Amino acid sequence: MKFSSSKKEQRFWAYLFLGFPLLLMSVFVFFPIAFAFVVSFYDWNLLIPDKPFVGLGNYFELFKDEVFVKAVKNTIVYTMGVVPVQTMLSLFLAFIMNQKIVGIAFFRTAFYIPAVTSSVVTSIIFVWIYSKPGLLNYILDTVGIDSNIDWLTNPSTVLPAIMVLNIWTTSGYFMVSFLAGLQSIPTTLYEAAKIDGANQWRLFKDITVPMVRPVTYFVVVMSLIGCFQVFDQIFIMSSGGPDNSSTTMSYYVYQNSFKYFRFGLGAASAVILALLIFTVTAIQKKYLPPDYY
Amino acid sequence: MRISYFIVLVTLCFSCSNEEKNMRFSSWQSSQTEEKIVRETLESFKKVYPEVAFDYQPIPGNYTEKIQLMLGTGKAPDLFWLKGSTSPAYMSFNVLYPLDSLISATPEFDVDDFFPLFKDAFKYNDTYYGFGKDFNAYVLFYNTEMFEEAGLTSPPTNWEELVTYATKLTKDTNGDGKTNQFGFVVEPTIDMLMPFAYQNGGELISDDNEIKIGEPAFIEAFDFYINLYRTGIATIPSNQGAGWNGDVFGRKQAAMIISGAWLIPYLKESFPDVKYKVAELPMGKYKATLAFSTAYVIPKTTKHLDDTWKMFSYLAGKKGMKEWTSSGIALPTRKSVALENGFYQDSIFSVFMKSVVYAKLYKIDLKERWFDESEAAMQAVFYKGKEPEEVLKKLAKKLEKYKLN
Amino acid sequence: MKQIKLQKILFLIVLGIMTMIYIGPFLFSLSISFSGDKNVFEWPISFLPDDATFANYRNVWNELPFGKWLFNSVLVTTIQTISNVFFAALAGFTFARLEFPGKNIIFTILLSSLMIPGIVLLVPKFIVLNELSLINSYGGLILPGLVSVTNIFLMRQFFSTIPKDLEQAALIDGCSYFRIFWEIFLPISKPALAAVAIYTFQGSWNEFLWPVIVTYTEDMYTLPLGMASLRHELLTDWPLLMAGTILISLPTLAIFIIFQRYFVQGVSSSGLKG
Repeated sequence: MKFSSSKKEQRFWAYLFLGFPLLLMSVFVFFPIAFAFVVSFYDWNLLIPDKPFVGLGNYFELFKDEVFVKAVKNTIVYTMGVVPVQTMLSLFLAFIMNQKIVGIAFFRTAFYIPAVTSSVVTSIIFVWIYSKPGLLNYILDTVGIDSNIDWLTNPSTVLPAIMVLNIWTTSGYFMVSFLAGLQSIPTTLYEAAKIDGANQWRLFKDITVPMVRPVTYFVVVMSLIGCFQVFDQIFIMSSGGPDNSSTTMSYYVYQNSFKYFRFGLGAASAVILALLIFTVTAIQKKYLPPDYY
Repeated sequence: MRISYFIVLVTLCFSCSNEEKNMRFSSWQSSQTEEKIVRETLESFKKVYPEVAFDYQPIPGNYTEKIQLMLGTGKAPDLFWLKGSTSPAYMSFNVLYPLDSLISATPEFDVDDFFPLFKDAFKYNDTYYGFGKDFNAYVLFYNTEMFEEAGLTSPPTNWEELVTYATKLTKDTNGDGKTNQFGFVVEPTIDMLMPFAYQNGGELISDDNEIKIGEPAFIEAFDFYINLYRTGIATIPSNQGAGWNGDVFGRKQAAMIISGAWLIPYLKESFPDVKYKVAELPMGKYKATLAFSTAYVIPKTTKHLDDTWKMFSYLAGKKGMKEWTSSGIALPTRKSVALENGFYQDSIFSVFMKSVVYAKLYKIDLKERWFDESEAAMQAVFYKGKEPEEVLKKLAKKLEKYKLN
Repeated sequence: MKQIKLQKILFLIVLGIMTMIYIGPFLFSLSISFSGDKNVFEWPISFLPDDATFANYRNVWNELPFGKWLFNSVLVTTIQTISNVFFAALAGFTFARLEFPGKNIIFTILLSSLMIPGIVLLVPKFIVLNELSLINSYGGLILPGLVSVTNIFLMRQFFSTIPKDLEQAALIDGCSYFRIFWEIFLPISKPALAAVAIYTFQGSWNEFLWPVIVTYTEDMYTLPLGMASLRHELLTDWPLLMAGTILISLPTLAIFIIFQRYFVQGVSSSGLKG
């Protein structure tokens, strides 16, 4: 810095300004991260004063637990199902929103509403929609499809049903991200391509998609992290049932920690979830980097 | 700005570490009727013991988890309800206050007045930790109008009759090609299956701690139970968009259901036009049903033992229990109260009093996770079409892990 | 020409269907919340209830501890929002404008903590708060959400775009850094502050997992938790449940519609630079 308020003075203000935020972060983020690992090596039950060290015992137990294996499987299915669809749908919505239509602000608002609404609210509404005599079956029945399914207690539909809900809620949010990306594409690019005789599809494929690549990267990362940790909808809509068909890793963490009170096992499963998220985002960064083009 | 901020924070921290001044009592809230009766009973308690200052803090939703959290964080209410089914786990954790000395100091509490089934229900290692506030038992509710229509005059008394009656009562009353009146309702939960298992001579876990759920007697009962559903003469609540079987019964979508006395105030309030009668459960090889009892318990951490015991001995005592059960929401665990309230004469409640003679108590000596594992197994049969034998045998193996020491 | 017209009509139809999918569920929930008939499963499902009534809204207020939950939600949300805006701006300013030993390390640590999924913190955070006797208290509800790395990052990015000469005159005049921050930087960063405020508001108003864990008595519940706790109890009273959910959604919806512009800005700036 050219202007010399002294280094000392800057240091004083910097530490003063950062003091409180860093204190909070240390107590509620940095320390807990380290502590999570520690807890995962103990058989830690809040109701029992004796907390024996069990080494990797919790981790071994996890992989022997059928429910945990199911939870891992469900979480992966959930994420791999939601992320691509959500990303493509958001891009599609953003593409529509980028057209010049009267009243576009209204439509943008409409698509965004689910994203700002509490997950509790959307989950409760969808419990009604998905129930056997609910709206979804009613609509299917009206158009002549006889679907006599209770979507949330049917083991093969419960997870997809919640996945659809998630896609529905968050696609509006990511739409706005894409929209910002789209708007920053210089219109001259399109005009030049049009002169060369490219049609709408070519424009989309050859200009739009590559140009929004950084946004896509961001959307995929956020979406991955969110999906891997899905909890609210499971908690409210299915409680992981039927027969653990919709138990996800987050729900498993919650159940073991706060229902069976096995904090050590809960912490261990959370650590595994974190590792899973790291691995997947690392793979994504390696094979689908934000600045490929 | 920053200063005001810290002031807020500091006050927050102070306000939360305040010691609780009053004795606290918590219960769950399964219905507004129930909450009203709890509050009324507490009002009477106040009249008898005006010197006891207390707060009533009901806990809606996820009761077991919340109570556990409170126990774990040393902030449990001084008196609370404990579900009988999971009580052994809690008693084994050594978090509850042993009551023996209090009982011997309070002769009018009269432990021997409790029915044999409930007297030792919350005893662990020869120590009393709680007493049943009331009991409930599964009995058969049947819709008399539907019975008349089908030409049936009396309720089914055994499994064969249950099937034939249910078949007669299953109808498509509006002619749209879909059944809209079912003979019976089954629920994919373990406690509704258990009476059938007992009737067939099976049990979940034996007195000497052996898991019996994978044995033929239990499997046969489950086969019978699931076939009621698979043959279409019984429905499940979620198929009707209902929360529980009482809802299905109230909406006149089913002619018979198994339920406890909690159904009575619910029907009165939400579906007053349903005409029904109550009967003992149809028997299998044996007469059997499941009885539920919820205990009052005191956590070890209580700082208001005197006041708490006053409330405990009032609510679980003769007077409090008499008032609590006179509403008919549940039945007394004390013989004297049952007599005084006239439960043996009442056409509905006498059925419960008859049932309690042969009922088995719903109290499972396993760690809490047994319940979720069992529910998952039930769901596997109901929603995945698996066979009871396979599922129960697997479950039996899993439950071995959840034995209490 | 005709083809273009056809294309346009088709486009509008798609748009219409999509819109219905996105807001239809809310409209139905609104309709149910006014229904006087408790059995919402009678087919045909009609969009307009035959016997519309406000009774459900009255009952939400009278029969449930809705007032208390509302108070808790408003308290938690207000404190967290103010705190996040203030500290994110302060910390963002520090990282963007001040030089001090350890700056890069601290910033890198902060950023990498973004990679840690929140679920990992669940158990340890609970144990920490339990040690501080803050379980089931406002402190426990509020403290963990007072600052967020995302917001600090957002503000830092914003301040980095402001030309350096802005504060130099003030420095010559001998102003303290706090005055520079307070009197020069804050006033010009309203859009960014608004974005942080709106995001925090929305996140903290809708937060579910943390209140589930940290509260156990009804009087400490926030609105989402309160409504979710009634989900099983009120399964037979859908109109009441729906009336409650509509009421919870109103504040976020109102704020979103009023401040739409900042929402979009916030998403785009965090999106492009994240």
